[in-house]
Amino acid sequence: MAEGVKLSHTAAMILQAVNAGYVYGFSVMEMTGLPSGTVYPAMRRLERDELILSHWEDQKIADAEQRPPRKYYKLTRAGKTTLEASHKRYPLLVKLIPIEEPMHEKERV
Amino acid sequence: MMGLPSALMHGLWLGLLRAVALLVPAWRRTDWLREWRAELWHVRRECAQKCIQSGRARWRVEWEVAAFSLGSIQDARFLRQTRSFRTIRRIPLATTMGSASQCVLFLSGVLVLSGSLALLLPGVRAQMFRIHYRQANRLVMIQDAQYAGDSQATIAGEQFVAWSRRRQDVFEEFAFYQMRHETVREAGETLASRRPPLAVAHASANLLELLGIPVRFSPRANGAIAGLPQVILSDDAWRRKFGSDAHLLGSVVWAGQRQAVVAGVLPPESWRLPGAVDAWLLLPEGELRTAGEGFLVGRVKHLGDVAGWGERWRLSARKADGTDADLLCISLAERARTPWSLFLFSVLMACLALPATTSLPLGEYPQASNRLSWSTRLRRWSFLASKLVLLLPIVYFVSIDLAYLEGVGRRDALSAQTIQLAASFALCLFGLRWVLRDQRQRCPVCLGKLTHPARVGQTSRTFLDWNGTELICVGGHGLLHIPEMPTSWFSTQRWLYLDPSWEVLFLEEELVSAG
Repeated sequence: MAEGVKLSHTAAMILQAVNAGYVYGFSVMEMTGLPSGTVYPAMRRLERDELILSHWEDQKIADAEQRPPRKYYKLTRAGKTTLEASHKRYPLLVKLIPIEEPMHEKERV
Repeated sequence: MMGLPSALMHGLWLGLLRAVALLVPAWRRTDWLREWRAELWHVRRECAQKCIQSGRARWRVEWEVAAFSLGSIQDARFLRQTRSFRTIRRIPLATTMGSASQCVLFLSGVLVLSGSLALLLPGVRAQMFRIHYRQANRLVMIQDAQYAGDSQATIAGEQFVAWSRRRQDVFEEFAFYQMRHETVREAGETLASRRPPLAVAHASANLLELLGIPVRFSPRANGAIAGLPQVILSDDAWRRKFGSDAHLLGSVVWAGQRQAVVAGVLPPESWRLPGAVDAWLLLPEGELRTAGEGFLVGRVKHLGDVAGWGERWRLSARKADGTDADLLCISLAERARTPWSLFLFSVLMACLALPATTSLPLGEYPQASNRLSWSTRLRRWSFLASKLVLLLPIVYFVSIDLAYLEGVGRRDALSAQTIQLAASFALCLFGLRWVLRDQRQRCPVCLGKLTHPARVGQTSRTFLDWNGTELICVGGHGLLHIPEMPTSWFSTQRWLYLDPSWEVLFLEEELVSAG
């Protein structure tokens, strides 16, 4: 399914952001500068196409920090393949959103 | 800790999320709302922290939270559209009317279309609201028995006069008319104006009264100008030949060589006796021409006397010259039959013929129905009832649309009735057949069309095992087994409810197919 999927620049940017460790909707919004009305539908589409997967944070972690649990996203194997293909199409993507371990990921772990 | 304004705004955005969640398909609504509520909480906290750090005004927080929350509408709309896209793909339109609501909407559309057409077509409208003959079952056309058809004038004028004057055992009243072609012109008009001749029925004065046809626009109809006979125009002739001239009514005209007063207009489609008549010249008995043949209408004294004789019966009567006349009496009920009575008759005939075209049972549905709520069962039967309720008026309207499409008076009344009868019988029969077949091919739970037919078993093993076709409900509610050959132990189709453990499988399939 993933082979042959050609992502738009926006979708590729969101996929790159998730791969870079921005693992929930608001962090992707902040990183990409896209509004919530664009980011969330795009993430639904990526999830539908099996390029990303979502899972809920453990309730205990959230309770310990006195906040609601968040829904995190991560790339699937097909998502990684598609992202690599997208890097050839959008070479500046890696420079725009470099892969680093963001604070949120540290918090989650 | 939030201040009161922030708490109010937070409550407002949570309310918005709850409202927008209604757009999201029910099966993922809880998850969607949970994610957006959590994100909203984090967005507010992070924006507030940034505001404090950068020294920005508090309203900037609300501004950013509002911008974030409004994005939920687009997200919900996307999920809704994705859902509807799936639904359309899941139940292909090639099968037509896949879902119950599609089916009911389609039938309602056809009903509105055919009903509107019936109201727009003047011929059909006239038939729907046409005037009934008074006591039509007591009225008969009397004609020479040598002629099977009733379009030929066979009764001599002198015969009518003789029978009218003689005491009758069977009939209590006669009316008579003869067809002529005469020019009807206004009194001031000269012969040079050359109006085309009209088909004028020279009729006994009681003809229209006997039939019970009301006359429209008759200002001085009863108090006609002394000594002058009355002329009644047909609606068609009044409109076409006289341009709907209201001043003509009550005025004196020349009908052939005789002066008469225009006493009114007959309602459209009210004349259903032989002859296409433009005007009726109502004459006293003494002024009717005794020479030539005409049409005779009689009213029987007691309905009980002729009730068992049917709609056509023979009669012998003594002629003026002393010989016996063999007469055929045809009930006017045949001609005065309304589209509604023909429709009811054809529905009855279609119901009788239906078992010959398809099996009536809807199949075997096991009583596993701790799973089925009473409302689900009621919905299934309501769907069947609504299809039937919509089908019958469609049949009525489409059949009269076809029968009277050409307009008033363009087609013989009997041939129009034949067309209506044939059309309503065929439509009703095949419509009822479709209703039953459609019901059998639907899931009893979700009422969606069953799909993915698969042939099961081997024909050669019919008597050891079973072979036939299996259809599945894509909602995962069950399987339908249709035997190839009905046997004593598998005579009709059987439904198999799938237990809830199957639902997960169908949900997964749905997610995969969405891609």
